[in-house]
Amino acid sequence: MKLKSGAREYEVEIVSRDGRTLRARVDGREVSATIEELGDASAILSIGERRFRLLGARRKDAILVAVGPRTFDFVPAESGARRARGGLAASEVTAPMPGKVLKVLVKDGDRVSAGQPLVVIEAMKMETALAAESDAMIKRVRVAPGDNIDHGAVLVELSPVPDSSANQSERGAR
Amino acid sequence: MAVRKLKVLLVANRGEIALRIIRTARAMGLRTVAVYSEPDANSAHVAAADDARLIGPAEAAKSYLNIAAIIEAARETGADAIHPGYGFLSERPDFARAVDASGIIFVGPRAAAMAQLGDKVAARKLAIAAGVPVVPGIETAEPAAARAFAAREGYPILVKAAAGGGGRGMRVVEAEAGLDAALEAASREALAAFGDGRVFVEKYLARPRHIEVQFLGDEHGTVITMGERDCSIQRRHQKIVEESPAPGLGAATRDAMLAAATRLAQAVGYTNAGTAEFLLDRDQAGEKFYFLEVNARLQVEHPITEIRFGCDLVAEQIKIARGEKLAAPGVPRGHAIECRINAEDAAAGFRPATGSVLELRVPAGPGVRFDSYLTRGSEVGAFYDGLLGKLITHGADREQARARMLGALDEIAILGVTTTAGFLRDVIASEAFADADLSTRFIEEHCSGWPSEDRAMSEAALIAAALTAAGALGAGSGQRAISNSSGETTDRSPWRALRGFELWRRP
Repeated sequence: MKLKSGAREYEVEIVSRDGRTLRARVDGREVSATIEELGDASAILSIGERRFRLLGARRKDAILVAVGPRTFDFVPAESGARRARGGLAASEVTAPMPGKVLKVLVKDGDRVSAGQPLVVIEAMKMETALAAESDAMIKRVRVAPGDNIDHGAVLVELSPVPDSSANQSERGAR
Repeated sequence: MAVRKLKVLLVANRGEIALRIIRTARAMGLRTVAVYSEPDANSAHVAAADDARLIGPAEAAKSYLNIAAIIEAARETGADAIHPGYGFLSERPDFARAVDASGIIFVGPRAAAMAQLGDKVAARKLAIAAGVPVVPGIETAEPAAARAFAAREGYPILVKAAAGGGGRGMRVVEAEAGLDAALEAASREALAAFGDGRVFVEKYLARPRHIEVQFLGDEHGTVITMGERDCSIQRRHQKIVEESPAPGLGAATRDAMLAAATRLAQAVGYTNAGTAEFLLDRDQAGEKFYFLEVNARLQVEHPITEIRFGCDLVAEQIKIARGEKLAAPGVPRGHAIECRINAEDAAAGFRPATGSVLELRVPAGPGVRFDSYLTRGSEVGAFYDGLLGKLITHGADREQARARMLGALDEIAILGVTTTAGFLRDVIASEAFADADLSTRFIEEHCSGWPSEDRAMSEAALIAAALTAAGALGAGSGQRAISNSSGETTDRSPWRALRGFELWRRP
């Protein structure tokens, strides 16, 4: 199965499992491991000398796993989706959490580059600048300073930079 | 001997601290009252209290900062005392005064002392008068005055809110170019957080340690200190790892800090629990400490002091509020460390995270304490501070406390909200922490670029994801019934439909 975490894509298959011995293929590499189930929805996975305590949960949109105290979110990889968007990492900038818009730093028709801050929001008592993940044109700004925003609200719509094939980047800047 | 009745305690707070205060109050035989905002109706502190009152909507300004609603809740429930916890109204003299005026006991310092200490400028004058050294600085929001000050003392300088604490509105300015923006932003954040836009500008010490002294004062004029805490490991000027005692601190410096804290408390006739914060600078000439501020409340990191001194600081606060006389502090034992588990993404500049807790595994064992309000199903929203829990370990010495912290962090798992637990594990495991190479720059010096590439861990995570998708790990594995907040079931899961996936027979 192909999975995505942040901007990175991975491929993982469980090749076989015989009792406590597990063989997997991760990004083309063979990985042998042993697994002990703990009976409380968690398990201990040993790879070589390393022992990892695993816990997993499914959400509608993602698989969440804990490896010791570290957690990872995975979503199914949508290969080719970005190519279809003309080099854009995303066609809109959305609110990562509920809050309030403090500043809007761009206007309709602006050309922006990857990493450039577009909107400053205040959430959880802190200011957070939301930046373009790739070079883009500002198609439409949908919020104004003072607006209250929900998680996932569209703040800015983006369109591809005309003839952007030269500066396609695989990873969106953050 | 108690001089006044205190039978019903209202806790004007939420989260782990409300729960922690309720636990102590119950153990003392008090009735407890929780207050809560709409999204907190199912929160652990509400369930733990004997009685609870809704005080408003999610917005803190209309609920946990709503003085009238809180006092009304106290009247309705027959509460004779209010504990403010930390944050929210804990350092608001107007709240302490309003509680007093309602004939209710405020479990904390008197409003006048709080007002004097809570204003950084007044507190600084007080420190100077009490013979406690201070860092050079001025109060101003005027760019011209700040520029003149910086020209005198040299960059970098620190801009911070004159009111409040906790590092809100605090900014380091490296050069003149960033000064105007920093003053403006600090003033705006200060106004939003504390309703007071005044800012303070001071010389920035390059690599100080943050060391603070716990003190208690009673109505009979007694002031005692209970050792120090090193809280140098901070991100965005907010503490994330604390320990006691401060490793390697010279005995003479420690004694001088404890004496300075006592003088500060005595200078304002301080009653109840407070903390004197200092910055420690070290050069060829030796250790020098400077007054930072006094926090006129219980601190987040108070448990490490409790564990070492074998006391319950909330119980002491309640006894002081009853008018009792303080007993001499116990003899401190061993070493204690606290890690703050925050709802944040450490890999993305500690950006706040939200979500609902799908799975939770809490640590336990000898010398391990976990103060948290989380349960499976807890919703972590964007309305309040992101502190989910405090993991505290105790050992006979620092190394044992550290080893226990590592073990406890390996046991903890919170799924559904990104937390700092994994980051903290790497901090505690680092050579710099093991060597106690502490300064407020610890994170930028030792943890930038976190997380480093760890192939085995990535493989483990991907294998775990594949197992979870197959229903072989987590909710849905074995015979467990599925019931998560979205009401999703195994059979309907889109993960079932993924191609190229082989299920195996469970052994």
